[in-house]
Amino acid sequence: MTVMTPPYRSELSSGRDGFGQLLHAEWTKFRTVRGWIIGLVIGLIAMAGLGLITAGGAQSSCQGQGGSARSGAACMPSFPLGPAGEPVNDSFYFVHQPLTGDGTITVRVTSMTGLLPSANAQPGSAGPASTGDTRPGLYPWAKAGIIIKENLNQGSAYAAMMVAADNGVRMQWNYTGDTPGQPGAVGPANPRWLRLTRSGDVITGYESADGTHWTQVGAVTLSGLPSAVQVGLFAASPQYTVKSQAFAGTGTIGLGPTQVTAVFDHVSGVGDAWTGADIGRPEDYPGFGDYHQAGGRFTVTGTGDIAPIPEGHGGDADSALTVSEFLVGTFAGLIALGVVAALFITAEYRRNLIRVTFAASPRRGRVLAAKAVVVAAVSFVVGVLGAAAGVLLGTAIAHARGYYVFPVSGATEVKVIIGTGLFAAVAAVLALAIGAIVRRGAAAVAIVIVAIAVPIFLAISAALPLGAADWVLRVTPAAGIALQQAYTQYGQVAGVIYSPLSGYYPLSWWAGLLVMCAWAAAALAGAAYLLRRRDA
Amino acid sequence: MTEAVASAGYPTWGARYVWGGFWDALHAEWTKLRTLASTWWLLLAAAALTVVVSAAVAAAYRCSPGAGGGCTPAATGADPAKISLTGVYLGQVIVALLAVLAVGGEYGTGMIRVTLAATPRRLTVLAAKTVVVTGWALVAGLASVAGSLLAGRLILPGHGLSAANGYVVPSLANGTDLRAFGGSVLYLVLIAVLALGVTTAVRDSAVAIGLVLGLLYLFTIVAGVIPNKDLSRHLEQIAPMTTGLYIQATEGVAALPLAPWQGLGVLALWAAGALLLGAAVLRLRDA
Amino acid sequence: MEATIEVAGLRKRFGPAVALDGMSFTVLPGQVTGFVGPNGAGKSTTMRVILGLDAADEGAALIGGQPYATLRHPLNHVGALLDAAALQPSRSARNHLLWLAHSQGLTGRRADELLTLTGLESVAKRKAGGYSLGMRQRLGIAAALLGDPPVLMMDEPFNGMDPEGIAWMRSFLRGLAAEGRAVLVSSHLMSELQDTADHLVVVGRGRVIADKSVADLIAAASGDRVQLRTAAPAEAMTVLAHAGGTVAALAADLLTVSGLSSTRIVAALTASHVPFSEVSAHRASLEEAYMELTRDSVEFHAGASS
Repeated sequence: MTVMTPPYRSELSSGRDGFGQLLHAEWTKFRTVRGWIIGLVIGLIAMAGLGLITAGGAQSSCQGQGGSARSGAACMPSFPLGPAGEPVNDSFYFVHQPLTGDGTITVRVTSMTGLLPSANAQPGSAGPASTGDTRPGLYPWAKAGIIIKENLNQGSAYAAMMVAADNGVRMQWNYTGDTPGQPGAVGPANPRWLRLTRSGDVITGYESADGTHWTQVGAVTLSGLPSAVQVGLFAASPQYTVKSQAFAGTGTIGLGPTQVTAVFDHVSGVGDAWTGADIGRPEDYPGFGDYHQAGGRFTVTGTGDIAPIPEGHGGDADSALTVSEFLVGTFAGLIALGVVAALFITAEYRRNLIRVTFAASPRRGRVLAAKAVVVAAVSFVVGVLGAAAGVLLGTAIAHARGYYVFPVSGATEVKVIIGTGLFAAVAAVLALAIGAIVRRGAAAVAIVIVAIAVPIFLAISAALPLGAADWVLRVTPAAGIALQQAYTQYGQVAGVIYSPLSGYYPLSWWAGLLVMCAWAAAALAGAAYLLRRRDA
Repeated sequence: MTEAVASAGYPTWGARYVWGGFWDALHAEWTKLRTLASTWWLLLAAAALTVVVSAAVAAAYRCSPGAGGGCTPAATGADPAKISLTGVYLGQVIVALLAVLAVGGEYGTGMIRVTLAATPRRLTVLAAKTVVVTGWALVAGLASVAGSLLAGRLILPGHGLSAANGYVVPSLANGTDLRAFGGSVLYLVLIAVLALGVTTAVRDSAVAIGLVLGLLYLFTIVAGVIPNKDLSRHLEQIAPMTTGLYIQATEGVAALPLAPWQGLGVLALWAAGALLLGAAVLRLRDA
Repeated sequence: MEATIEVAGLRKRFGPAVALDGMSFTVLPGQVTGFVGPNGAGKSTTMRVILGLDAADEGAALIGGQPYATLRHPLNHVGALLDAAALQPSRSARNHLLWLAHSQGLTGRRADELLTLTGLESVAKRKAGGYSLGMRQRLGIAAALLGDPPVLMMDEPFNGMDPEGIAWMRSFLRGLAAEGRAVLVSSHLMSELQDTADHLVVVGRGRVIADKSVADLIAAASGDRVQLRTAAPAEAMTVLAHAGGTVAALAADLLTVSGLSSTRIVAALTASHVPFSEVSAHRASLEEAYMELTRDSVEFHAGASS
């Protein structure tokens, strides 16, 4: 009788069967397709390249003194910088006296009136030459009140209690700080009492309607405040701006200065030796700031603003380069990454490779998860590298050419770079999920571009009115672009419209990330469900 | 043996040969297109998407008065025709997609070899495909633009852009609006041709649609953001989508970098260039 | 116009790899010509060059004396089945044949005829993506016959077919040849072609190794052997070697002799009084002939077992 062959036993040592092995397999799949690696590289080059072209190719031209045309670095604006290094406007009329050590100032404001440019003022006018070019009117953010300021230099620290025309009583400090008090306009029938109390580094602001019952509005610490400071009354009224048609309503144009005149009385807590001074650029608007004292009544007239300068079209920093401009390549990077991520799964369906994949790893949800991790990781890297090249190298190149880049703190730079990486990663996962759902490469790419890139395009290119652009950037997956916002939107500054074209997005960074992740999660869930249900 | 011998009875040159061959190829390409369900779904989708977006944008429009106050053409500079045609930004994606699939689908399945075996004259095949896809795009464009026109006429007057305020309500009766709306149909046709050419050159659907859409949207964004006025203006003068859409402008035409028809001409040059590139690749490479 | 395919001196490289290295042969009407060779020998490339799909670096391929590109309604001259899967999955089979018909100026009626001929009329309206492999092959044949061409080319049409399908295909192809058409069928499996082909073009490494009828090929092969069972193997070996044959021992009493016919072997052994009990002639198969011919041209050897 012949001997029967014993059953076959493999001598191959069996490895582990965990998610790590699956991840390794999917990574090997990804990195061994030359075309996809090339796609990543193209995305990176596009992102970095466009940012560097923006920095290296920036050109400004402007009119110099006496009408001569100038260009390049000579056109760069220079601003006073506040205590935190941000560009600020610091010009106003200051009726001041010195204060040493602790003290308090109390005042009653009884009226605020103002002058605006006439109805047919032209942009860029130097200012009304006579009262015939103006009309009465109070600019919405005209400010008058009391202030404690470190010294008379522009950009020095301060804290102020004021009435801001239509925006009620406010306490503001160090340009960016702003706390509202009682709303409502001020007039003879409804005066406002304001008080500032200094104690060391801490300045507290109070308001009252009748002078007896006081409400604290805020208390701020101005660290390093010297013992000798200036205290007094001030008035300031910002430039008059209108929406610019050149940017389809998303930018502004200045039409000339405005003026505010405020009447103060019941001044107490300080001495009687007052000095009046134009802080800022008095030579631009000669004779605009003034004060009269009659008995206990002060009438102070001023022009200008004490506020941060936001970057954006139509603002004073219009010609400055911004970090958002250096990130313009993100759009191209997103498209390239979306194509690669969609192809990573749709290519498997083309030749039924998906059957081999699912035979090797029957737990389909895990396969999808592993693929998602791979595309998220590579996209994160590409996003970070591309953004870093744009922001860091771009800023360096711009500075080397003498161009002014609107400043961002180092922490913000890191936030924007990491944020771009996250944006790219979540976008890639969304593209992968859509690819798993539709299984056809071209359709997936088209859907991904419509979902992410087109809303960004519509919002930035001002093809949509601002309200619709806002909505689009809140609701679609493009909301993730909020991760790239580098500059703060200041609600208390007039004259700038915060539009996507200038790099302002309607959501905060974490809200934008959340919206985008919600889309990606929903798509992944749908993809996982379909993957399990469908035949391979 | 290596010399071609004209087979008896068949001309190998001349008008009858060229046109006869083209007619058959055209018939075949039309049959191919009409026997795919996706063709008709995409037609519906293009029109629907365009009209929905146009209507939504029109409904969301709020008159934001400028310096002079009030909702007048001088104050707002609003362009009712262009607002009604906003949907074209989306509709063009579907139009481009169909053009991409009409060629890319053949390469993906390997059917291109069957096509080229049936019609060895490759430029005839490309010409026939172009004609058929152009026809589809024309119908899609007409439907999309007609719907957008209707949406604009019905919705915009209720949002301040009415004749009472001095605006021109979109209609085909006046020459400028006819140019805007009719030109948008031509725009969509040219987008289809551009996409067809690009796909024939790269021979892969997914990459082609990414390239086409990237080309369209990216140029415009970079041109808008780059802080160099000269470069920006030059870019705007050559960007395919930006220039093509100048045809939609009925307000502020004088401020455009190019005249409306010049703009459409630039897009036509892009489309022709893509088609030439595709023809070269088709002709010179192995199937 | 004559129904022939003439290929002369084709050369083509794909980058560093040489696909065709002076390929020359002629396919005549009235017979099935098998186009055989190992994987990578250049069969599919040759067919693509004939159809004008790939461009050869040198040489010419003519259909009835004309290059493919100059043919008007080429499917009326050559019907080809290169890749049965080259279909749009979302299009029905009938519509696939329909557009092909339109491209040659034919009508839907012709498409319906072919569907009936290949037995597909019951599934004609179903989407081609849902077809089994056998159905796809039949659809490909329908497409190849659409223009009723006198020349037919098929690239590995037997691939993946079941025995019934293979038998059907075989009789089908022989029928077409019997009608006077020139039929070129490529394959890398000899067993499929054994009863189908009349003439063989054997290729390897991009050139023709043999271009003969099937009978000549088998005869030329040295595979004719006679197996001999004998109780006196040593003596038998001496006698037969003397007579001019080559003898090898398979087992203790089993010899295999080549180079001598069985008649001669019997005569030689009888004359020398060597006992033997069994003489069986072993005819070479086409497969053996082919393996011998292409031994040096095979690109992909399996490991160990040879």
